[in-house]
Amino acid sequence: MAIIHFQASEEDHRTAKLTAFAIGLHLIESAFPSPIPGVKPGLANIVILYVLARYGIRTAAWVSLLRVFASSLLLGQFLSPTFLLSLSGAIMSLLALMLANRLPKQHFSVISLSILAAFTHIGGQLTVVRLLLIPHASVSYLIPIFGLAALFFGVVNGLITARLLFAEQQ
Amino acid sequence: MRYLFLLLVSFTQLSCSIQLDPLYHTQSYVFGTLVDISIYGEKEPEAQFIASEITRQFQAIHNRLHAWKPSELNGINKTFAEGKPKLIEQDMADMIADASQRSLQSEGLFNPAIGNIIHYWGFQSDDFPAHTPDKAELSALLAQHANMSDIVLNQHQISSKNPHVKLDLGGYAKGYALDVGLKILQEFHVQNALINIGGNVIAVGQHGDRPWTVGIQHPRKPDAIATVALGSGWAIGTSGDYQRFFMLDGKRYCHIIDPRTGYPAQGTQSVTVLIPPSKDAGVRSDVSSKPIFISEPARKAEFAKKMEVTHVLIIQENGEILASPAMQKQLNWLDKEAQTRVRTLE
Amino acid sequence: MFGRLSNFKHFPKPLWGDWLVIGFSLGLVILSFFTLWSQQPATTLRIRTGSTVFGEFSLMQTKSLKIPGKIGVSAIDIQQGKVRFKQSPCNSQYCVHQSWLQHAGQVAICIPNQVSIELIGAVPTMDTLNY
Repeated sequence: MAIIHFQASEEDHRTAKLTAFAIGLHLIESAFPSPIPGVKPGLANIVILYVLARYGIRTAAWVSLLRVFASSLLLGQFLSPTFLLSLSGAIMSLLALMLANRLPKQHFSVISLSILAAFTHIGGQLTVVRLLLIPHASVSYLIPIFGLAALFFGVVNGLITARLLFAEQQ
Repeated sequence: MRYLFLLLVSFTQLSCSIQLDPLYHTQSYVFGTLVDISIYGEKEPEAQFIASEITRQFQAIHNRLHAWKPSELNGINKTFAEGKPKLIEQDMADMIADASQRSLQSEGLFNPAIGNIIHYWGFQSDDFPAHTPDKAELSALLAQHANMSDIVLNQHQISSKNPHVKLDLGGYAKGYALDVGLKILQEFHVQNALINIGGNVIAVGQHGDRPWTVGIQHPRKPDAIATVALGSGWAIGTSGDYQRFFMLDGKRYCHIIDPRTGYPAQGTQSVTVLIPPSKDAGVRSDVSSKPIFISEPARKAEFAKKMEVTHVLIIQENGEILASPAMQKQLNWLDKEAQTRVRTLE
Repeated sequence: MFGRLSNFKHFPKPLWGDWLVIGFSLGLVILSFFTLWSQQPATTLRIRTGSTVFGEFSLMQTKSLKIPGKIGVSAIDIQQGKVRFKQSPCNSQYCVHQSWLQHAGQVAICIPNQVSIELIGAVPTMDTLNY
């Protein structure tokens, strides 16, 4: 009888802890009804942005994807359309962050990253909605509303993350 | 959950603007045409109940006034043919008296007594085939001289001096029903509603924070040519050669018969009238467009005046578009090309 | 990391690149409002039979529908953004002669068969049609 033995590294512990934060924020957010259906602040993105700035894109990707899977399992939405939306949004915004991370840091702060992540997040979700859930051109009518929400929450989340990082440096 | 929300949002987008619109809308087929009722701002079960009550009463009116199936009106036509008197209900007597008065007002161009001629053309049918007219037969029918003035009303007793009078209230019933519909809406204290019976429309209140908007059909395209903001209590009605017609040898034969010739009226594509709030706005929206439609071009303005119509839009076969100054102020043109052809009716 | 939330005194100022991103995004959002909310392409087809809604269909497809009406079956063609009555059991064939509809607010009705098709855009252009 073989015992499979894992040696969890310090990095793994850190990733798990940060993922727990992200999941916590995600759960808090899903407990509150949104004034406009479908529009949510995406608080978990704060953790992703923080992780990206502190530990790099690899850890951020782990935290982001683990967050998506774990949250959907906890909320009983695994492999449901909600999960699909969540995953598509996360993957798209990770790809955007991967590219945006190369922008010169002295001119583009985490606020820029946050806005870009928010736009690609909703972009990925709307793409899935259009292709799979509502195969209909009327989805395009929602783009301006979601775009405005993405800009607003992108700025807010970016400011919060910037302040967090700033506080860490003190 | 999120996708459900999205779905919900996108569906509300389809039927209304951003927020949920408390609009109840239903369609049915009565009077051989489409009846379209919109009620705004009432709870759905109430709105549904009121709309079905209106539809039910419309169906009752239709059954009483049906021109080619057994009905109260056809019972009257039968006793006319037999030369006998008949006792009728008060509201039926009032309706016939009112139609007679309007026929007089239109110098006979609105003539609901020529049911025989309308029947001859085949328009007394839900779905009519093309029909070659026979001059001799038509002149025989015309020689019957069926007129509303042949009808004698003595309180509840009705008779006709002319056995050939055959009432067909096709140009009256829908307008009459609009007025009945308005009364029902008022009884139920509905503040905002719109009733459309085959193109005759009456408005109550408005659609939320904007007035009810009614599109005027282009007589030759599947589009609205213009829109009108219909104020509370206003009615609009159109007589068109595209509503019921058949084509024969490239010529259009429409359901609006010129009582003077016995032939379908020629030269006009549509006449739209806008009627200000009044107790008989519905009837007026239905009846008063007919004499304007039938009359020759030079006399259209005169007949508009005779029918007390101030808001009128006329689209002629030759492409000419005439509109009274009051009507021009109300029209919001969608067809910009047509707008350039508008001339003032005087 | 959240222990430090309490001693937030001031937020770091956005850099010029951030303003660039904000401005650019705002421009895109405003542009999207103008382009996506101003025009009125029809997106949906609503088919009614009698007093009931038979169904709503996307116009962005190619599809042939057979709609059972009062006197027979109406054939309706959807072709990437436009729709028409292809065949009708009625005598007058007005509905078929209406040909293709493609703008929001357009309506074709087959009264004998009690089938109506209505094109719907994002915002209603009118409440009813005076025909």
